Amino acid sequence: MRLLSIIFSLIFAISIVSIPQNDAIAFTEQQIARGAYGDDVIELQSRLQYLGFYTSKIDGKFGYNTYWALRNFQEKFGLPVDGIAGPQTKKTLAGHSDYDEKWVKAQLKAGNQFTYYGGKPLDQQVVKNPNGGNNSAGGNGGGGGTNTQLPPKYTDRDLQLMANAVYGEARGEPYEGQVAVAAVILNRIEHPDFPNTVSGVIFQPRAFTAVADGQIWLEPNQRAKEAVIDAMNGWDPSENAIYYFNPKTATSDWIWSRPQIKQIGEHIFCS
Amino acid sequence: MRTMLVILTVAVIGLGAYSIDLHRDKENLQRTVHAQYTEKLTDASEKLSYLQRAVSQSLLFQDEAAVHNELDTIWRLSSDVRSSISNLPIDQEMSNDWLSYLGRLGDEAKKTAKSGDFDAWREKMPEISTNLQSLSEEWQVATTDFYRQDGKLDVWMKEVDSKEPNTTFDNVKKNLKDYGESDFPLTLSESDWQKKVGLEALQDSLITEKEALEKVKTLFPMIKDATFTVTKSSENATYPFYHVQFHQGVRLGYADLTEKGGHLLSYLVERPVDEAKLSQEEVLKKAEEHLKKLGMNDVAFVESRENHLAWHVTFARVNPSDNALIYADGVQLKIAKDNGELLGANAMEYIQSETIKPQTAKPIDWNTFFQDDVRVEEVKKIYTDNGQFDQRLCYQVIAVRGGKSSETFRVVIDAENHNVLKVEYLS
Repeated sequence: MRLLSIIFSLIFAISIVSIPQNDAIAFTEQQIARGAYGDDVIELQSRLQYLGFYTSKIDGKFGYNTYWALRNFQEKFGLPVDGIAGPQTKKTLAGHSDYDEKWVKAQLKAGNQFTYYGGKPLDQQVVKNPNGGNNSAGGNGGGGGTNTQLPPKYTDRDLQLMANAVYGEARGEPYEGQVAVAAVILNRIEHPDFPNTVSGVIFQPRAFTAVADGQIWLEPNQRAKEAVIDAMNGWDPSENAIYYFNPKTATSDWIWSRPQIKQIGEHIFCS
Repeated sequence: MRTMLVILTVAVIGLGAYSIDLHRDKENLQRTVHAQYTEKLTDASEKLSYLQRAVSQSLLFQDEAAVHNELDTIWRLSSDVRSSISNLPIDQEMSNDWLSYLGRLGDEAKKTAKSGDFDAWREKMPEISTNLQSLSEEWQVATTDFYRQDGKLDVWMKEVDSKEPNTTFDNVKKNLKDYGESDFPLTLSESDWQKKVGLEALQDSLITEKEALEKVKTLFPMIKDATFTVTKSSENATYPFYHVQFHQGVRLGYADLTEKGGHLLSYLVERPVDEAKLSQEEVLKKAEEHLKKLGMNDVAFVESRENHLAWHVTFARVNPSDNALIYADGVQLKIAKDNGELLGANAMEYIQSETIKPQTAKPIDWNTFFQDDVRVEEVKKIYTDNGQFDQRLCYQVIAVRGGKSSETFRVVIDAENHNVLKVEYLS
């Protein structure tokens, strides 16, 4: 009997050690739902993947893939199924999963492709980024892309290309002027007189000076990216313009014939 | 002296060799670019002929399948020629007119294939076929010069940039304009849409520059002590508005207000943003408070997206008669993550205010509409554009396909005729 109780105690002790109890250091206190982004979402996705509920890329963006995984977890663990990671859900999740923050963040920073399934050695779950270096975007598990949430009709590639164009064309302009340049690109895509893709508009011969003089290939700063994100979310300080030009440097007479709308910084915006 | 002479001679020879090399590189590069443009031009010209033939052939048949086949070809070829022409270094105005003409022809073919209204097509197309034939021939003549430059792209580019460009294009340009207007006149819906975008529905009285400034200070008290610069839109702007730029400490931004009634078009502030302190719930609450302060009480939440400085939150007007969301009357807010300050508001669409015609919603059996491995998670009634500038009552369905590695889609279906208007992949 004594031997039996010792064995039971040992089994209990082992099971306590083997079930990760990380709730003390898990998550922030904030409730997160669809649309959220950042460290809490990275942890949520990692823990859900550890338990096998989340099979997509760990990227810190709380989209539909994370939402369904969370709902499945809630259903399985008898929690209210709402797809929101509130205190109860977070506590239960942290109590049943492990999260090696340092390791996950290191993979994201390096731009490695990786997964975080429980019961499998971590070094077998990484495909190292062949470029080796730091990921300037700062968090792209699965390699490639930016750490930005965009309206569904735009891609990370659109953002990168447009940020290059905005930086090359208008880096010396006020923020409003940079958003306006991004808006002109988007207005052209919607306009029947222009190509209907971001790259089609930007690389249309003779359309943008930055393409002709190579400045489009300069590394854009965060401000140019922010300007593009605002334009993609609907802001248009150009008020529906499809052209703009710098009156000091414009060589085309034709551009002066376009109906002008407003001037922002050095650029006149036209319809 | 002799040594100097030798050094000088060697330097001159070296420099000469270097410049010959540089010149050769430049010529090689020019030839490569010229070859690319030649390929695009030849492709555009050839496909333009095929397109004209396809339009003509579409008038041959009574048989629906045969007409469908030609309509598909027209739609595909118009898109191909459009793509080739958009990649050519030609006059911007002519490029615009080409793209517009070809796009409209392709749209017309697609619309006819969908609606099955072949009589309207047969009535309209003989004239368009003739016009396209003449455009195609004029284009061949005008572009002959491109092949005559002996691979010298700079000669062509000089011609394009010239203030008095080659007159061989004059006919193409003129006819493109004329045919564009006669072959594809604006539809009633397009005309309504232009009026809407031009804010013609606004009937309020005009406000002064001073009143515009006061309105900005009232709407956004955070910047009431800023330094302001107010300018009015140019005379030729589609709608007149005031452009109010401001600067207050770390805040720099603008607000645009319509001259008619002083309605807010958009507002945007740039300022450094500290570390996030608010939860998602608090941000959304703040967004709703900001909306109330802006006087937008007839909208409902659509979606939100967090990025590293701010949240972008979208709302749409609720149709009072059926509570469906009118996506075309959207409002976007930008909320700072550190303290919930309103960093931006975009009400351009909201103030255009769509006129919604009464429509009926016929029920759909989702089990037969979607495949067996698709489950419908959410159905919502919305109004959205059907691609022909008409606002249609639709079912917005969030559908999930597959098992463990499932994929999520937003599918928008016309509630009356059950046409699928949009499908979006959601990750």
